[in-house]
Amino acid sequence: MFACMARGLKRVALYTLLGFLAFFALMVATGFFIGYQSARGVDVDADRLTFWLAAGVAVVCMTGAIAITVGWMRAIDEAAREAHKSAWFWGGCGGMAVAGVLFILASTPLAAALQPPSWFLGRTDPAAYMATGAAILALLMTAGYTLAWAWWWWRRR
Amino acid sequence: MNNRLKVLRAERNWSQAHLAEALGVSRQTVNALETGRYDPSLPLAFRIARVFGQPIESIFHDEDPAP
Repeated sequence: MFACMARGLKRVALYTLLGFLAFFALMVATGFFIGYQSARGVDVDADRLTFWLAAGVAVVCMTGAIAITVGWMRAIDEAAREAHKSAWFWGGCGGMAVAGVLFILASTPLAAALQPPSWFLGRTDPAAYMATGAAILALLMTAGYTLAWAWWWWRRR
Repeated sequence: MNNRLKVLRAERNWSQAHLAEALGVSRQTVNALETGRYDPSLPLAFRIARVFGQPIESIFHDEDPAP
């Protein structure tokens, strides 16, 4: 049965590789299509095109990530699943708690004078700072998740 | 919860990897079970009982005595 589990994980790895290859092929095809349209003299709005391309890439990547995660969680055994669930709850909540402190501090008048760098270097527009906040929260939660996961297995070594 | 997994495995001269393969779990999970730091689900407990050919209650013991 452990062989079944290993096969399940191999299948997840194979589908992940195939997904990346399909994604790469789609990007190349899209690039060729846009280049072809541009060469034909079709007016291409670069900013609008970049936005929609980024939206497409984001949706495909995140959908793929969820699909990989589902396959992964189905392939691992119950203790490994329990470690991930525990890590998500305690690590994720811990990361959010730290982010909550930053959130409250940001509401103070003193913080209004700060000029912190944004996630996208050089940009200081609202969207860049929204992305910065999301990235900080994700990083803190991921850090908490990793620590909690390692702690779970360390306690059961 | 205490268990006799390590003793039962030693009696059969099985490695943790062998038991893990028989149960369909990782070796780390078998180690966590043997040290009593991870309590298995009911389906896994039944699988363990089947692999060793013994009833569940002879493998797992509650730490608290019954009232």
